[in-house]
Amino acid sequence: MNDSARRILTLAKHEYRAAVRSRILSVLLGILVSVTAVSVFIASVDYRSQVADYRAYVASAQAGGVQRIAPSPLRPLSLLRGATEYLEIIGAVIAITLGYLTIARERTNRTLTLLRSRPVTAGELAGGSLLGAVGIISTLVVVTGTAGVLLAGLVGNDWINAAQAVRLGLAAVSAVIYMMVFYCVGAVATARSKVAASGLMIALGIWLLVVLIIPQLGDTLDADNQIPGGLFKALGLNREGETQILSHFHTYETTRVGIEEASFAKHYERFSFAMTDVLDKYREYSLSQLLHEKWHDIAWLVVYPLLALAALWQSFRHQPTIPTGDLQ
Amino acid sequence: MNATTTGPARTPAVELRQLSHRYDSQLVLRSVDLSIERGEIFGFLGHNGAGKTTAVNILTTLIEPTAGWASVCGFDVVTARSEVTQRIGYLPSDVRMYPHLTARENLEFFAALSGLVDVSTAVSETLDYLDCGPLADRRVGSFSTGMRQRIGIAQAIVHRPEVLFLDEPTSGLDPVGVRQLRETIQRLNRELGMTVFMNTHLLSEVAKVCTTIGVLNHGELIYKDTIEATTSRFPDEASLEDIYVKMEATSAGAAT
Repeated sequence: MNDSARRILTLAKHEYRAAVRSRILSVLLGILVSVTAVSVFIASVDYRSQVADYRAYVASAQAGGVQRIAPSPLRPLSLLRGATEYLEIIGAVIAITLGYLTIARERTNRTLTLLRSRPVTAGELAGGSLLGAVGIISTLVVVTGTAGVLLAGLVGNDWINAAQAVRLGLAAVSAVIYMMVFYCVGAVATARSKVAASGLMIALGIWLLVVLIIPQLGDTLDADNQIPGGLFKALGLNREGETQILSHFHTYETTRVGIEEASFAKHYERFSFAMTDVLDKYREYSLSQLLHEKWHDIAWLVVYPLLALAALWQSFRHQPTIPTGDLQ
Repeated sequence: MNATTTGPARTPAVELRQLSHRYDSQLVLRSVDLSIERGEIFGFLGHNGAGKTTAVNILTTLIEPTAGWASVCGFDVVTARSEVTQRIGYLPSDVRMYPHLTARENLEFFAALSGLVDVSTAVSETLDYLDCGPLADRRVGSFSTGMRQRIGIAQAIVHRPEVLFLDEPTSGLDPVGVRQLRETIQRLNRELGMTVFMNTHLLSEVAKVCTTIGVLNHGELIYKDTIEATTSRFPDEASLEDIYVKMEATSAGAAT
């Protein structure tokens, strides 16, 4: 390991230890696991009776000598829908807070000057902070996901299989990437602001726009969403008819789709829902079919983090090392 | 245990040539020329806002000068940042360290960042050297200002730098703390051979600990000489304080 890698690792361990020691990690874990447990528990109670019904059907079919038994329509991963949504909304706020704390802590303790007077480059500082945050956020996602799966198995009485575990793993990776982008938003906004609290407010403003407003705008402007059950379905139109009608509103549709595409949260949600069986239409897809179908969202899950990383690196390079008021 | 002298041979520990710095429209350092030899304890005097901290910020590579040139141990602070940071220790004013970590953990972190291989030995030696053993495994958040300052010094010397920069090191300390710090500075200079560059506006400190002084007034270096030479040059003055006031008054008179 070279000196630079060693310094990055030292900074990353320091970041993780700071989160553990200040009890931030345990508090955030407590919040995420609690809300996930409540949502999975509520969903699992009803699911349990569906599992019992299906098993009764299988038993009676087998007793009756039925040769072709219908496969189970039940998917235990779908019980984690609440966890995915909480990670999308609360997880983003948590990540922003972590990013804010990374910068604010150094400013409050006046340790940034100590760090920068050592043989540490801005890139190493950014890399170390980022790696530490990956550790913290991965802990949050893995513990929350594991708690959700265990609860779904125990209360819902249905355990995930190996293939579902792989898809859950991919959804967890996407959740870590998603939260890391918001970590960068929090860190960049704070680093760019003279007063750390202003940076936090700016980052929360971005969260409001990206996670809550833009996805809602896209949904609200969708013609098909104007009637419960779908406008085109109510009109008796198939996919072809729908496409033909929408072609007359090309500019409107392009704008609406553009608004939706701008939301990183939407791409994360689409990918995660597909991976965790939340959407019926993907339930029979194999993993490769799913990845092929979702390549567009995967691409955005790569592009946004790269942009966030570039912004973070720039911010660490240009962040004022000297606290305001100490300039002379 | 000694700080090893490295860098280009026979170069001064610190050198400034026509060094200027500007914050927006305010010129805070004006073409400062200064050379400090290795092994000195240099006291940089000046009123609040004179430009002392700006000079130290440039020398510790935290900011780049807007004009002129500065070097530490012969290495340019702008183009050879890595070389400089390997040779310096720095204690800013009012540093708080990481409150959730123990003194030992704080030191281990900074020692590792400085590239030390045997971190735990270096930290233990430093804690012992500064008589900080009883503080080692306590969280820094529970420390008094004096204790924090001792750990601050420890982080600054854990990697045995050649030049130690201290910015207003006695600020917030009680008389006992000030005396301990003074003794520590003298020991570091005498036993480890460190050059010490100390910013202060307290003349009593300078008179008791420094070998050389420089006086900065509104960004201009108006005086630099040894303590002995200074007191013999101003024999009529009762104390260093009188000398300092006279220098600043002379400088202000010359400016008007």
